[in-house]
Amino acid sequence: MAKWPSKGRKKRRIVRTKTFFIVMLVGVLMMAAYVAYLDFTVRDRFEGKRFALPARVYARPLELYPGLRLRATELLAELSLLGYRETTRPTAPGSYHWSDQVVELVTRPFAFGNGRQESMALRVLFDGGGVQALVQQADSTPLDLVRLDPAMIGGIYPGQNEDRVLVGLNDVPRQVVDALIAVEDNRYYSHHGIDPRGIARAVYTIARGGRIQGGSTLTQQLVKNFYLTADRTIRRKLTEMVMAGLLEIHYSKEEILETYLNEVYLGQDGNRAIHGFGLACSFFFDKSLEQISLSETALLVGLLKGPAYYNPRRHPKRALERRNLVLAKMAEGGFITKNQQLEARTAPLGIIDRPPRGTSPYPAFLDLVLRQLRRDYREEDLRSEGLRIITTLDPRVQGMAEKSLAGQLSLLEKSRGGMAAGLQGALVVTSVHDAEVQAVVGDRNPRYKGFDRALDALRPVGSLIKPVVYLTALQRPQQYTLATLLDDSPLVLKQAGTGDWAPQNYDKESHGLVPLRTALVNSYNLSTVHLGLALGVDPVMDNLHRLGVDRELPAFAASLLGANALSPIEVTQVYQTIAAGGFRTPLKAIREVLTADGEPLQRYSLEVEQVVDPTSLYLLTVALQDVVREGTARGLAARLPAELQVAGKTGTTDEFRDSWFAGFTGDRLAVVWVGRDDDQPTGLTGASGAMAVWGAMMAGLDPEPLILPEADGIERVWIDPVSGLLSDSGCPDAVELPFAAGSAPTESAACGPRSVGKSIKNWFERLFK
Amino acid sequence: MTIVARWILMLITALFLGGCAMVQPGATPTPPSGNTAVLTLLDKAQSQSADGRLDEAEASLERALRIEPRNPVVWQELARVRLEQGRYRQAENLAAKSNMLAGTDRYLQAENWRIIGEARNRRGDPQGAQAAFEKAEQSP
Repeated sequence: MAKWPSKGRKKRRIVRTKTFFIVMLVGVLMMAAYVAYLDFTVRDRFEGKRFALPARVYARPLELYPGLRLRATELLAELSLLGYRETTRPTAPGSYHWSDQVVELVTRPFAFGNGRQESMALRVLFDGGGVQALVQQADSTPLDLVRLDPAMIGGIYPGQNEDRVLVGLNDVPRQVVDALIAVEDNRYYSHHGIDPRGIARAVYTIARGGRIQGGSTLTQQLVKNFYLTADRTIRRKLTEMVMAGLLEIHYSKEEILETYLNEVYLGQDGNRAIHGFGLACSFFFDKSLEQISLSETALLVGLLKGPAYYNPRRHPKRALERRNLVLAKMAEGGFITKNQQLEARTAPLGIIDRPPRGTSPYPAFLDLVLRQLRRDYREEDLRSEGLRIITTLDPRVQGMAEKSLAGQLSLLEKSRGGMAAGLQGALVVTSVHDAEVQAVVGDRNPRYKGFDRALDALRPVGSLIKPVVYLTALQRPQQYTLATLLDDSPLVLKQAGTGDWAPQNYDKESHGLVPLRTALVNSYNLSTVHLGLALGVDPVMDNLHRLGVDRELPAFAASLLGANALSPIEVTQVYQTIAAGGFRTPLKAIREVLTADGEPLQRYSLEVEQVVDPTSLYLLTVALQDVVREGTARGLAARLPAELQVAGKTGTTDEFRDSWFAGFTGDRLAVVWVGRDDDQPTGLTGASGAMAVWGAMMAGLDPEPLILPEADGIERVWIDPVSGLLSDSGCPDAVELPFAAGSAPTESAACGPRSVGKSIKNWFERLFK
Repeated sequence: MTIVARWILMLITALFLGGCAMVQPGATPTPPSGNTAVLTLLDKAQSQSADGRLDEAEASLERALRIEPRNPVVWQELARVRLEQGRYRQAENLAAKSNMLAGTDRYLQAENWRIIGEARNRRGDPQGAQAAFEKAEQSP
């Protein structure tokens, strides 16, 4: 038995050793499992951040060619939007130099659907009218056509990154990376995720009673950013270090840096966290990262240490000191020269007062793009495949539209006070013949990403419907011409189920018998209702659908005066067809979609469909030109010269709740709505409200005159406006009107060619010759 | 043959046939555009189309239209591309648009009616085609 104890002891020892090994093994296995788990977690997080490439949305590329009506200042505005830098000798892509009437620039390469446009160094020569010539910088060879790279105007972001401005490392200015390395992690390119020297320094600091700080590599900081909490336990610190090491095994320095730049926390806007340098740039400076200056770079990088403590809006002094420290470190590290440091030190902080809401400067336009895209693409592809979307937005037109709406609404409020307070508005601009949408404004504060009135505000269109009524009449040339007399007498319509309807003219007067043209030009309600009832409400509504309204609309007598509600964009589609000569083209906001590599994926090609015969449309357009020349829109003469021969129509609804104007020049169509969100009266007519916005905008866009091509089957005849009968050029008040061939009156008025008086006059003339 | 060359040739032919001083206004084909960028794009579209790269030809013509949206020659060329693409209804509509913008240019209009006739033929409407070809005969 003596053995037992020893045996037992031995056994116990073996058991202990065994246990020890098992515990060790389990421990190692658990460690391995934990590391594997960490590896999985960190990679999962990283991939999630990295490979969701948002679709990028671009404005139209600006095409330069001799004869283009563009001022040098307008080109410079475009270059500034593109983030081109001004230098004395432009050699790098994306740089330019401006002196007087010459702009020298080096374009950036860009892959368009139909081929890549390489970088090109050229000189643009301006004269009074616009671009006079384009020549190659090297040998002054003349160029016919140069396309600039398009400005990025927004992205379509995956859910968790809803509010990000993701940037690729290639688009990040060198100085941003330099500043990061200089201040946060100067051994970034040589360590493996963990920097022993940094840790040693941190331990030393803690040992001396300091706070845990510093010592984190960029990789560690990135790992830290993957977690929402920021607790500073030793365990968390160790986990971070392991994860940082793992990241470095799987990914390149560039990949990690790019993710860092897009992930890192830089500030707070209420409950909205500002992550990434791209968004921070727009939040603090209202710029894209490509446009950032050295001093601004230093400010942003300085924020990393404590976004709240160094918040430049709240603590400008601290932020400034921190910025200058970053500049000093950059100079110390040899990233910038002493001179650059001194120059950047003197720059102001450059923070904008109010950060823009949302990530696109053009939320209303982006809204339209997104709706068109959703018809053709799956949501997840839009958010993850890095598609490039080339749109039709023209930043110059958009800028003018925004400025005009905001400016005119403020003026109206100031000059009218009272009722005209709290005005809102919407505006859509298209190019006449190809229906490309050049601008959309859905709010008087154009950067506000909220209710998009241009797309979603459904408001009664009022008199904007009248051209459709008159077009329906003019399509029956044997019954109706511009000279046909219409009845403008009062009427009461008894309808089952509703009260009596007694429409009135704006001036509350009845005008007796009026020529059809005059009734449209002065927007008489009574004659329009008489005419519309004679034509039938249904044919009028059919025409409205043919011109471009896809939605079902109730048809009733009040529809003839625009009781049906449409959105500004729907109205635009209708007038688009009229402006384009009766050819319907669906409004187009997207030209093409490319893959992330610039390969063409889909073109949205120009489609036209003739939906109105050219003759009746010609007659209608002439009448709409008369609306501006002598009718309800004659006030436009104060802003635009008569030679432009603008065609347009005003619209005002009951008690002045909605003010509309739709009109077109030779090159652009624009529809404006002004009113209040609560649908209360504004006291504004179409002419005093919406038309003011329209006129101010067009005046700033150097419009082309509306010259109608001579239409087949049109003849011009002198008419006596009172009787609607044939007259002569010499007769008092006679007007020359176009008619569909064979539809002009044959009967003569008192002074007309076949009148008795005329015969006598001719007889006398012959006698005395 | 490039489109510009084609137009120049037509112009010369017209001058010969009509006798230099006798050319009727409206009977002479004018050059397709006074804008060099538009001419360049028309040429480019022509060669893209000849190579069968119809999508690219279409894109070039749409670029030209952005510069000169009321140029009936560009619309006509686009109609031709649509015809090649087999999009006959579009070809017809685009030729009609060119007609509307052509004003009194009978040459252009005749050519448009020929495109419309061809499109109608190809989509199986011989009667409609016949009517269009007759219009083409009346036009020049």
